[in-house]
Amino acid sequence: MTRTVRTPDETSSKINEIPDMAPSSEHEASLPGISRRAMLRNSACGFGYLALAGLTASARGANPAAAPVPHFPPRAKRAIFLFMQGGPSHVDSFDYKPILDQEDGKMMPFDDARILANTGMRASSHRIMKPLWPFAQHGDCGRWVSELFPQMAQHVDDLCFVHSLHTEGVAHGPATLFLHCGSTNFIRPSMGSWIVYGLGTENENLPGFVSLGPSAGNGGPRNYGNAFLPSIYQGTAVGKAGEPASTFRNVTNGTLDVATQRRQLDFLQALNREQVKARAEDSELEAVINSYELAWRMQMNAPDVLDVSRESAETQQAYGLGDKATDDFGRKCLMARRLVESGVRYVQVTYGDSSANPAWDQHSNLPKHADHARAVDRPVAALLADLKQRGLLEDTLVWWGGEFGRTPYAQSNGTGRDHNPSGFTMWLAGGGVKPGFAYGATDEFGHTAVENKVHMHDLHATMLHLLGLDHLRLTYRYAGRDFRLTDVHGRVIHDLLV
Amino acid sequence: MLRLDMHLSRGVVVLALGLATGLGFSRLAEAQVADPATVDFFEAKIRPVLVQHCYECHGPEETNGGLRLDSRPGWEQGGDSGPALVAGKPDESLLLAALRYDDPELQMPPDGKLSAAIIADFERWVAAGAADPRDANPAPRKPVWDLAAARQHWSYQLPKRPDLPPVVDQTWPTGPIDRFVLSRLEGSQLRPAAEAEREVLIRRLTFDLTGLPPTAEELAAFVRDESPDAYERLVERLLASPHFGERWGRHWLDVARYAESLTLRGFILGDAWRYRDYVVEAFNQDRSFDRIVREHIAGDLLPADDLHERQRQMIATTFLMLGNTNLEEQDKAQLQMDVVDEQLEVLGRAFLAQTIGCARCHDHKFDPIPTRDYYALAGILKNVQALEHANVSKWLEMPLPLPAAEEERLQAHEQAVANLEAKIKAQKARLTAQKQPTPTGPAVVAVDQLPGIVVDDTQAKKVGEWQLSQFTKSFVGDGYAHDQNQDKGRKTITFLPELPAAGKYEVRLAYTPGTNRATNVPVTVFSADGEFTVNVNQQLPPPLDGHFVTLGQYRFELNGQGFVIVGNDATDGHVIADAVQFIPVEQLAQAAKPAAEKPAKTYANAKTADDASERAAEELKQLEATMKQLVAKGPKRPTVISVREHGKLTETNVHIRGSVHNLGPVVPRGFLQVAQYGPAPELPADQSGRIELADWLAAPQNPLTARVFVNRAWHWLFGAGLVRTPDNFGTTGESPSHPELLDYLAVEFMEHDWSIKWLVRELVLSRSYRQSTAASAATNSADPDNRLFSRAERRRLEAECLRDAILACSGQLRREMGGPTIRPGTSSDYGYQTTDTRRSVYVPVLRNSIPELFEAFDFADPSVVTGSRNTSTVAPQALYIMNHPFVREQARETARGLLARSCADERERVEQAFELILGRPPRAAEQQLCQDFLAAAAAEGNAQNREELWTQLVHALFGSVDFRYVE
Repeated sequence: MTRTVRTPDETSSKINEIPDMAPSSEHEASLPGISRRAMLRNSACGFGYLALAGLTASARGANPAAAPVPHFPPRAKRAIFLFMQGGPSHVDSFDYKPILDQEDGKMMPFDDARILANTGMRASSHRIMKPLWPFAQHGDCGRWVSELFPQMAQHVDDLCFVHSLHTEGVAHGPATLFLHCGSTNFIRPSMGSWIVYGLGTENENLPGFVSLGPSAGNGGPRNYGNAFLPSIYQGTAVGKAGEPASTFRNVTNGTLDVATQRRQLDFLQALNREQVKARAEDSELEAVINSYELAWRMQMNAPDVLDVSRESAETQQAYGLGDKATDDFGRKCLMARRLVESGVRYVQVTYGDSSANPAWDQHSNLPKHADHARAVDRPVAALLADLKQRGLLEDTLVWWGGEFGRTPYAQSNGTGRDHNPSGFTMWLAGGGVKPGFAYGATDEFGHTAVENKVHMHDLHATMLHLLGLDHLRLTYRYAGRDFRLTDVHGRVIHDLLV
Repeated sequence: MLRLDMHLSRGVVVLALGLATGLGFSRLAEAQVADPATVDFFEAKIRPVLVQHCYECHGPEETNGGLRLDSRPGWEQGGDSGPALVAGKPDESLLLAALRYDDPELQMPPDGKLSAAIIADFERWVAAGAADPRDANPAPRKPVWDLAAARQHWSYQLPKRPDLPPVVDQTWPTGPIDRFVLSRLEGSQLRPAAEAEREVLIRRLTFDLTGLPPTAEELAAFVRDESPDAYERLVERLLASPHFGERWGRHWLDVARYAESLTLRGFILGDAWRYRDYVVEAFNQDRSFDRIVREHIAGDLLPADDLHERQRQMIATTFLMLGNTNLEEQDKAQLQMDVVDEQLEVLGRAFLAQTIGCARCHDHKFDPIPTRDYYALAGILKNVQALEHANVSKWLEMPLPLPAAEEERLQAHEQAVANLEAKIKAQKARLTAQKQPTPTGPAVVAVDQLPGIVVDDTQAKKVGEWQLSQFTKSFVGDGYAHDQNQDKGRKTITFLPELPAAGKYEVRLAYTPGTNRATNVPVTVFSADGEFTVNVNQQLPPPLDGHFVTLGQYRFELNGQGFVIVGNDATDGHVIADAVQFIPVEQLAQAAKPAAEKPAKTYANAKTADDASERAAEELKQLEATMKQLVAKGPKRPTVISVREHGKLTETNVHIRGSVHNLGPVVPRGFLQVAQYGPAPELPADQSGRIELADWLAAPQNPLTARVFVNRAWHWLFGAGLVRTPDNFGTTGESPSHPELLDYLAVEFMEHDWSIKWLVRELVLSRSYRQSTAASAATNSADPDNRLFSRAERRRLEAECLRDAILACSGQLRREMGGPTIRPGTSSDYGYQTTDTRRSVYVPVLRNSIPELFEAFDFADPSVVTGSRNTSTVAPQALYIMNHPFVREQARETARGLLARSCADERERVEQAFELILGRPPRAAEQQLCQDFLAAAAAEGNAQNREELWTQLVHALFGSVDFRYVE
């Protein structure tokens, strides 16, 4: 892999090739001979990757966007992120703390993250609230899982739990952005965009990064946005949170049948060739012509990828299609499998909505967690089983969790739990992570990560590592400096890796 | 790893010696190891821990926080936060604070707290003087900053008027610009391209200056016009067009990261459009750019000749507040700094093309911007109020200065409102004063008799024991609940409504009053607006129908967390919770009807209200209804998003590594030293210093501002700047391809009173601009990137031009200018769709709902400064053109227009279609293709529907490269 550095004397066309550096580039930069601008402009791309890779070797060397070569052999080729928006309670699901049952109802001091951020006050007094669902051990590994997730519990021997996550942002907006982009406030590319920037995609007829049913809230498009990366790395949203799963935009024509539209397209392409012929050769105009052909191919193929009716009745049933509680999320999980199977690099499936207090955000009425659990438990379990049965789990990284966890005590002494960014649980599965494994721990109440702490930056670094990318070298030069997903932080947690 | 092995092995050696040499020596060694003042203690207890837990991030590989712990000088000098250890004083040593994990901001090592025994060892070691033999590896000193050296970079030198270069071909240049361009070309043995054809020129110029295609008539007139000044007159006409400001204003809006909403919760910036209109007007009126700069930074503080100027200047400062900020950040010190940082980043890039933000955490790695300079600038903006802080903070909506008559009218209205408010308050007080324990409504009200959504206490979720009661015979639903005046702070009762729709609701609490009740019941409403606690005095009778007290109006979302918690924390009597009512605000008027009119279930022994209090309550309702009408019908005070000087200056410290909780030395306010010529200005003691900041930015002695703007203009007209990184003139940006030309334009621009129209005129009148896109093969290969401007650049229509051109063809384009364009009543931008056919510059820029066409065709990301848009060619663009209903509908409208024309035959109609859409007649082959298409479709039986056929034809023309590109 090479990085190109432009010399101050622009017109002398000198290029220094620096070997073994991360892909990096200048946002507005151009390169003598073949410019980056021209490159992006002139490459006809389905969703913009393979066409770049198909350029000459020298051009590829000079163009970071066209260098989808991992830094080292990847353990996972693709990833699915199952985003539990709003912050599911870890102490009611995967982080078993028996003391909460014993001390239920007692007032105890905690460093509440919200109170700390608002007032700087520590050790505020809160009422311990026991988990509402009983825990039991599961699998050969004997992992504790509550009755909230009976089906996921069947898969604990495939899961790699991280119980010691901590993150930044006490409110949904900052924490959700941090989860996706590694920053609570600044405009930064999302994780999926970084990954596609680093690896490209395997199917030029499909986008490299698809977000199924993303939420409009708490950062909305920024959570799948490319920020300053070239726009080809933007996540492609399919549908939105709280609405039934749909398909890619503009891949069907509402008016013309296929034959009529093809005839119209042939006419358009003939006009285009005539118009291009009238000028000196221009690769950019050729690219426009090609983009129509690619668009047509996508139109013919892409809807099928999201068409879950092509799956067997058994598969549909396994994902919970047809059952009101699970149909929507099951459909999206099944789409996710079909997408990664078709070569999409990074798929995010959101269980959430676009409100300011999304889905799992049970500030009150914690029992409502059961509704959400019912909606996701079976589809997630089915996805794991399906990926495994197809041999895809080996090189597909599955990631489950929310933007933070919840407090082990009741919020305002009520019936729910407040946000808890100081300690919570996520799990990984597949592509290169230890199965049936648990790492790190929160304190005895499940409030703060204390043992083998894993910051969200660390998890990002680790996931990039699993995908063959070094978080220190996956950089992009913008506004005068090299940016990374992990900013100036992040450590790869090698203990999680097989 | 080498280092690690060495240190570990040394520890092993000590141990091994102890074992090998017998008791006496061993005892000595043990004694030394046990004495924390000795090097042996360090070697046995301290060094191994440092090696294992610290070196990875604070050693030779990485030096996080500027701190190295692999040598004594490392911790003595310390990192960004200062020395890590103070020998002899464990409690003053940052390292120990970090190890103890006391401060949430400073905890080391990051993956978990070390054992108590290890921490105790460190405490003893430091207390005993921190013996440390590691003298090697002195931490590298920071290089001393050298201003003179820093100014060597081209962009920090003041622009000088250059001599005009000699050229061989004296006939080609029309002026200095062409001489600079030609001189470079001749130097490379190249010739400029020929002049573009007339129909190409007018299309290019009309799009470049107005963002619209020329009409067929304008085109024909210009092609026919043989007078020598035809082109000059065309330029003047277009510069004078009001569409000039719309086109060039939109360019500037890219730079200003203009948007009308925030990503967070889709908040609408309802007054942002005023700034957009300000920009359009400024470009149309050719306001001096230095004036524009001053108004952007300090318009609210500048003297004004008249009211319009005062309004305008204030509106300009909206620029400071357009950042896409996360107002929900709970740490408000952090939020304030985030806002300042965004402002610095934006003004730095927009006016100076400097990446100032890099210096927030450390001295700029590439450019001569020390952290000190960053905080000197931050010190100015930190002393300006930008937000009102709350759970979700809010930008400032300040009253817009108004003409006297309007102001009078508004004040009269506001006085009327205030008077009425006073009356209402008095009436309420009177009602309360009657101390009527008896309710004015029916004593017992069934839940289903009440408007809105009512959650009775029986349905509420209870924590702790709540006693259900009907003792006081006046309540909602089935009695009420009370806390037995026990277990204070241990009981809550939560009312969780199932709201039928999102929207604003008035929330009311029902309770039964009495003398044994608490006077301070905390009632917390959770809504989409956040969390608000209202204290209710339950000894007073509830003012509404004798049952309810209002808790305020709140916004609720459909799936959101909307609920009310009544607690008993620190209450001084019985806490009562009877019911909570959520009334949609639209239904409030209806709800205000006397409850007595409604059929109500009453208990036999329920008391009825006496007449006097009923009359008083009726009067109150009348007053409230009048108020509602008055507010609805009265004039609204126009507001503007701006900032506020608060006069009380605070000093700004360096924020070590950018952290608001880790403050370094105080920095006096100031500017970037590298771009500061002449003596540093005195900043006023009673003002932030924004005026001086604006003066510095707009001064002729600022080496950057004029250069940066003329380069932007060049970029917008030529497709690429003289500096191809228009937002980055630092050392990581590109150098100018024609440095003398850049200086020439910068100096002339300033001398022409910073006139943008002068600048644009100079550029478009040049022969360099008027070149054709076609160049010889030799030119193409010698200047592949067109860095020498050896030809015109073929450019695609930007998103706005594409849309406006399609609407212009279909005749649907509405050309009225200015004003707010977001549908009234829009409370969030989620899913917002524009169907309006006004020019694209007036399509609301909503960060969560960027129109699909804009998104597909590389519209500027409205959260960051964009001097140069991306230009991508991707299939989603083709898909948009092929399948999006907008294109198809406009094609149909266009086809209808064409079919309504009287044409001799279809050939003539095709000619007219080409002239309308592509601005030129069809070539023979194109005419043939069109005839073949029409005939083939007709042969398949589609001929009956000519409109459909022509729709398809026009649709194809919209997708053709000659429509999508400007030559």
